[in-house]
Order: sequence, then C-alpha cells, then structure tokens
Amino acid sequence: MKLMGCEQEAGVIRAMQTGGWTEYLRLHVADCQDCSEALRLAEALREEARRAERRCNPPDPYWILQRSRRMARVLAVRRMTLLLASMRALAAFYVVAAAGWLLRGYAALPYREVFSAISGASTWFALMGAMVAAVCVAAGLWPILREDATRRKAGSVR
Amino acid sequence: MEDVRMIAAWTTPGREQTTAGEEGFMRLYEATSRPLWGYLQHASGRPDAADDLLQETYCRFLLHRIPTMDEARTRSYLFRIATNLLHNRFRSREDAALEEPAECGVETDQAARLDVQAAMRRLKPRERELLWLAYVEGMSHAEIAAATGLGAMSIRILLYRARRKASGILRPQRTKS
Repeated sequence: MKLMGCEQEAGVIRAMQTGGWTEYLRLHVADCQDCSEALRLAEALREEARRAERRCNPPDPYWILQRSRRMARVLAVRRMTLLLASMRALAAFYVVAAAGWLLRGYAALPYREVFSAISGASTWFALMGAMVAAVCVAAGLWPILREDATRRKAGSVR
Repeated sequence: MEDVRMIAAWTTPGREQTTAGEEGFMRLYEATSRPLWGYLQHASGRPDAADDLLQETYCRFLLHRIPTMDEARTRSYLFRIATNLLHNRFRSREDAALEEPAECGVETDQAARLDVQAAMRRLKPRERELLWLAYVEGMSHAEIAAATGLGAMSIRILLYRARRKASGILRPQRTKS
C-alpha cells in the first residue's frame, strides 16, 4: 500500500460514476488494495447519497427567491445609508473648515472695513443667494434631524 | 450556462427582474438542491442544519453578482459557498455539529444506512467533506481544493487519510454484522 494512495484511484472513481470501465481498470482494481477500498467506500457513500436524496425535501425555491430579494434590499439600503452618513460627515467638515477660514480671514480686518465692504448690488445679490442656500439646507436637514431624534427617542424607550 | 446568465440578469440591481431569471433559478435549484442537501446533511450531521444551510447557500449565491460561469463552475461555486457556511457553523457551534441525525422516512436497508452514518459521524467534519465531494460528487482534487479552500497538493494526502479512517471504521462494523 502506498503512502498517498494509488495514482489510478481517480480513474476508478470516474469509471464507477460514468460506467466507463476498461479491462485495465478492472484488473487493476482486483489487484490494488487502495483502489478496491476506495471503490467499496465510494459505493457505500453513493448508496447513502441516493437514500438521502429520496428522503430529502428541499425548501421551496420561491421562498428562497423572496428571501434573497429582501436581503438585496437590506444590503442596498445599508450601502445608501453608509453613503449618506459619509456625505453628512464630509459636509460637516466642510462647514467647520469654511467657517474657520472665513473667521481667520475677517479677523485681520477692522469691523468698519468689513461693513463698508458689504455694499453695492453685487454684494447684496451674493448675500441673498447665501440666504436662499441656507434656507434650502435647513429645509433639507429638518426632516433628517427630526427622524434622527425620533429614532433616538424610540431607542431610549426600548 | 444560459440559466446562470438569466439569474445574473435577475440579481443585478437596476435591471428588470424577469420571470425568465426565476425560471433559470428554478431549473438550477432542481438540478443542484438535492445533491447539495445530501452533502450538507452528511457533512453537518444534521438534517435541520442542512435545510438552513441550503437556504443560506442559495441566498448568497443569488446575492452575489455572477460573472459568466458555466454549469460546472456554478455547481462548484455552490459547493464552495456551502462549505464556507459549514465551516462558519462548525466554528460557532462545534458541540452541536456531531449530533445524531434525526430519523426520517421508512428505510428497508436500515443496517447499511446506520453503518455509513455511524462511520460518517466518527469522522472529522473536514474528512466528511472531502470524502463526500470526492466519492459522491466525483470532484477532482482541483475542484475539491476550490470548494474547500485547501491547497490542491494537500487534498490527495488528506483524502487518503480520510478514506483509510472511514474504511477502518466501516470494516469492523461489517465483520461484526
């Protein structure tokens, strides 16, 4: 008996499955202890597999399809939530950085110069634009923050 | 091959979920679920675990975006997912893995069945997997390596040892009976 089994073992198993027995393989199995042992075991296991298949009652595939759809939706929502959270963090960072940059720039100027600089149609137009943008951001953030607060409250109650 | 493409179309987000994809999946399920269930049942030693793992295997298969795979690779891929799930289960519930399988159905050749099942229970999970994939599914060493995540070179030695052990367990039982 060899230390790693017989080289012909795979061929013997294949022949058993396909029925493609050659004379050489038949003679070899009769002589080789490894191959005859492998063949006996393979036959016993395949018989057991046939019995198992007879008593097998696999779950309904429609149920699996439905479950995989639900899982796909959950994964998609999780991916989008992650994306939104990272965008929110990025926006917060941007606001803080912009505020810091503005404060640093205007701190160097005397107040009168700042107020005198805010004059003219173009400045007022820019300020109006900034106000509209701020209102839009606030309107967008309001439902998100309210939902967050509700969820936090629900979590603390549970 | 065509079935796999249809399933891929069904699972790819943004595309229309067609009944053709469902039909493709049904055909694939019909062709592969019983052998896969047998593998899971004998490797885990529990029919209830086999049911759970079978569902999980197909769900993961459907969720994963499938590149163009032929039937043989799809089957091998299913066995790989199943083997990974089995390993996860062994890691988390090692004590429950080797419990006696539940009796189900009327069997005429009860003794032979109990022989093989008893022998399987006395083997390690890895040994059961290797024996089943090689001797029941008829996978080559390379296919077993792909399904189990083991090195292709070590499959031959491990399989040889598992076979010797299983034969050693079965032989005394048969001589006794």
